[in-house]
Amino acid sequence: MDKNFAARRRRDLFVAAALAVIAALAPLFVKDVYVQNILILTLMYAALSQSWNILSGYCGQISLGHALYFGLGAYTTALLFMKFGVLPWFGMLAGGTLSALIAMGLGYLCFRLRGHYFVIATIVIAEITLLLFHNWDWAGAALGIDIPVRGDSWLKFQFTRSKLPYFYFALVLACVAWFVTWWLEDSKWGFWWRAVKDNPEAAESLGVVVFNSKMGAAAVSAFLVAVGGSFYAQFVSYIDPESVMGFQFSLLMALPAVLGGIGTLWGPVLGAAILIPLTELTRSFIGGSGRGVDLIVYGTLIVLISLALPRGLVSLFSSRKGAAR
Amino acid sequence: MLTAEAIIQSLASGLLMGLLYGLIAVGLALIFGLMDVVNFAHGEFLMISMYATFFLFAFFAIDPLLSAPLVAAAMFVFGAVVYLLIVRFAMRAKANAGMVQIFSTFGLAIVMRGLAQFFFTPDYRSIPQSALGGKTISIAGIFLPEPQLVGALLSIAAFGALYLFINRTDFGRALEATREDPGAVALVGIDKNRVFALGWGLGAALVGLSGAIMAIFFYIYPDVGASFALIAYVTVALGGFGSVFGAFAGGIIVGLVEATTALILPPSLKSVGIYAVYLLVVFIRPRGLFGSM
Amino acid sequence: MTITRRDVLLGATATAALMPLAARAQTSEVVIGVIYPFSGASAQQGVDAQKAYETALEVINKDADFDLPLAKGEGLPGLGGAKVRLVFADHQADPQKGRAETERLITQEKVSAVIGTYQSSVAVTVSQICERYQIPFVSADNSSPSLHRRGLKYYFRASPHDEMYSAAMFDFFDALKKKGTKIETLALFHEDTIFGTDSGNAQAKIAGERGYKILADIKYRNNSPSLSAEVQQLKSANADVLMPSSYTTDGILLVKTMAELGYKPNAIVAQDAGFSEKALYDAVGDKLEGVISRGTFSLDLAQKRPMVGKINDMFKAKSGKDLNDLTSRQFMGLIVLADAISRAKSTEGEKIRDALAATDIPGDKTIMPWKRIKFDEMGQNNDADPVLLQYVGGKFVTIFPPQAAIAEATWPMK
Repeated sequence: MDKNFAARRRRDLFVAAALAVIAALAPLFVKDVYVQNILILTLMYAALSQSWNILSGYCGQISLGHALYFGLGAYTTALLFMKFGVLPWFGMLAGGTLSALIAMGLGYLCFRLRGHYFVIATIVIAEITLLLFHNWDWAGAALGIDIPVRGDSWLKFQFTRSKLPYFYFALVLACVAWFVTWWLEDSKWGFWWRAVKDNPEAAESLGVVVFNSKMGAAAVSAFLVAVGGSFYAQFVSYIDPESVMGFQFSLLMALPAVLGGIGTLWGPVLGAAILIPLTELTRSFIGGSGRGVDLIVYGTLIVLISLALPRGLVSLFSSRKGAAR
Repeated sequence: MLTAEAIIQSLASGLLMGLLYGLIAVGLALIFGLMDVVNFAHGEFLMISMYATFFLFAFFAIDPLLSAPLVAAAMFVFGAVVYLLIVRFAMRAKANAGMVQIFSTFGLAIVMRGLAQFFFTPDYRSIPQSALGGKTISIAGIFLPEPQLVGALLSIAAFGALYLFINRTDFGRALEATREDPGAVALVGIDKNRVFALGWGLGAALVGLSGAIMAIFFYIYPDVGASFALIAYVTVALGGFGSVFGAFAGGIIVGLVEATTALILPPSLKSVGIYAVYLLVVFIRPRGLFGSM
Repeated sequence: MTITRRDVLLGATATAALMPLAARAQTSEVVIGVIYPFSGASAQQGVDAQKAYETALEVINKDADFDLPLAKGEGLPGLGGAKVRLVFADHQADPQKGRAETERLITQEKVSAVIGTYQSSVAVTVSQICERYQIPFVSADNSSPSLHRRGLKYYFRASPHDEMYSAAMFDFFDALKKKGTKIETLALFHEDTIFGTDSGNAQAKIAGERGYKILADIKYRNNSPSLSAEVQQLKSANADVLMPSSYTTDGILLVKTMAELGYKPNAIVAQDAGFSEKALYDAVGDKLEGVISRGTFSLDLAQKRPMVGKINDMFKAKSGKDLNDLTSRQFMGLIVLADAISRAKSTEGEKIRDALAATDIPGDKTIMPWKRIKFDEMGQNNDADPVLLQYVGGKFVTIFPPQAAIAEATWPMK
């Protein structure tokens, strides 16, 4: 552990804290509800992408089916609340735990797969679950679950007009995801993950440890993403299988990390900060014509950024900062 | 309700559809197998092939069966161009090459959809009359729609031709060799970029062929590729990346599994059967049925 | 330069401040938000809707000689001739985006009311957010029966919902049975999103109540690459009536697959959607001679009520198509909304809401074959009588109910 590394880590922590404080003060300056909405979505995707990054970036197991956990989190919270009156705070924990367990179970079955086989396996598992929920009448099937919002309540985590509680929750979630990543980077797990990612065969000599580390990554990643899903259910107050388990959601969780810098600490944050406002603004101000112009703009930017910056946007900054591998 | 005739009909339809899935997937298999590159815009390649067929019909009254070679040729050029302008740079990425390929082609897919919507509007198109359209052959009470039948035969022919091409011709071997070791082949005077561009062109041409056939009996709109793309990926993965025969077998299996699942489960869940079989196969054989990578 | 989150925030705030904030119109203009899918798979519906609303706008803002509320004279009389301005927003068929866009319409564009949305799932969140801001929401074309039963005060739907449509279909069956036609068995064929699920449920329920036997209840995945297996099951069931609830894409594939597999149903009675779209009939119309669809609107009403034909011409000039089930509902929805705003003599949400609740427009002052437009305490217009239309010789002919019908039904299909 060299001095530079330790210094970098301290600096990262300091920068993160500073950004968090600035973000926390943002609502004082930003009163427009639409802009607040963009901020919340940005924070949410930063959190989701950061969590995804733990498994797919650091551990190298690319998943394009993470919407599964997002959806499970959303549905667990919504169903527990609507059917059994369980408060969303407990629902969140339940959803997170369930997702972590399922992630480990799926990992047990799928970690033997390499490369594209694994990616496709994650996609189809999410699709299967989507189809099952789509046809499951008790869970609302295609009609989804409509969570009535009757008034402001911290217990039920629902608010009629104010976006601030959602904002702060998303901010906390993003900070937690970031912090977990930061902490794991320097832990023995982080070491194993880098070993696994770089050279799975050589890491195999470490035996069962490799497998356990992948399971750990999967569990942590899934837990956080599921909490994000629970948040989403409360935020939008309506979920249906397509909107929380769809493939486009899985892609949207990966995209900020890829564009920002996969496997890096700041990549997902940076990627989300650029991508989400871009998506929202192009839709709102170029999208209403039915001509597809917003899609053309959005797609072109993705192509350009991914080609020009294979290491992601973080590579624009010092070669040391942020580049894990 | 579930008579023997109904079951045989379901399986026959499933087989035809499976061969068609194989034809759609073979282009993907080729590109995957030879260059280890994912084309996330594969569904959109299919979509523009269908539009091209439609417009050749609408403006020049060329029957899709006749325009198929034209569309394939046009797609050949298109595929090569996509390689040269985008994929070539994606493959050069020194880091995260896999992700760069996925997302650069994913961005391309979105652009293609946006362009299609811009130029063609989102309205649904369909070719009303054609040589094969709407016609069915009935053998012993089993109906075999002519477009799908021709598509299935074309699929078998295409696979056969591709197999011979890769294993028996110089170019095919050059494709293989370039995949194995791009540096070495350069020493022998083979331009890697040229080979790969032609490989992409060939893959795209095969999609073009399937698009022309699909346009005979399927509806066309900017998002039409999406439903077929996932099936194509699963087909190729099931058969095993790197194996052309695998894609062929994969297509047949997917088609039959889809049809069988619809007999047992509610049809809205028929894809679950396909996905479950994929997971089962890769659980036992992590590289797919015939995969070599 | 390090781009921090802060820079993004400040940039966004500045942009928001510079955007033209249309003040809530006092007398010069009334702003209404229109939210539809303008990109993605259903973008065409958004495009068509836009033309329908623009047609209504012409009728409202310019002087038009129709016996329709607000047609005569320019603008809204209750607000001194104030003109209506529409702001369009794209929800991309995503409930979350629908909510975000609606909120933007309300807080930035300062709309006095919102109308939409095509997809019922998006209507759920849009109506919720309108309720929270106390802005009226007119559900122009959503047919899910659950939408008006959520205890919302600001939700209004002038057109029928799926239970009403399905009841009309079964009223038609009952009437035919009385005349001696054999209708005993049904095959339901519905896609798996909200529309299909609601429709299938409503049909199954009423069939049970009225003693019809369901031989096949097939739910299929929408936008399936292949419907061979599903059609095979329909063919095996061979019911007296096939009842599809499908969008355009699946409708086209369904009809083509039926022809491919040699299945000619005795009769098809469709739950509208794809079966009222020009694109479907362009594709497979030749195979659909005699198909019946439920509808809200019939073009042949123009024979009795000439303004229907004239308004259709106006719409056709903009869109190249005739008014159909959706576009007619959209047109009427905006007229009803604007009429209420005029009666409210105000652009305040609560007052408009009260005016909407007091709406009472006789059917012959609309372009619809309805008895009248009057909302119950849940915001639903129960007097919106559906009609059944039969596709004959390239045109839709109203065949039911008797007071609106101009021809007898041809049964079975040729």
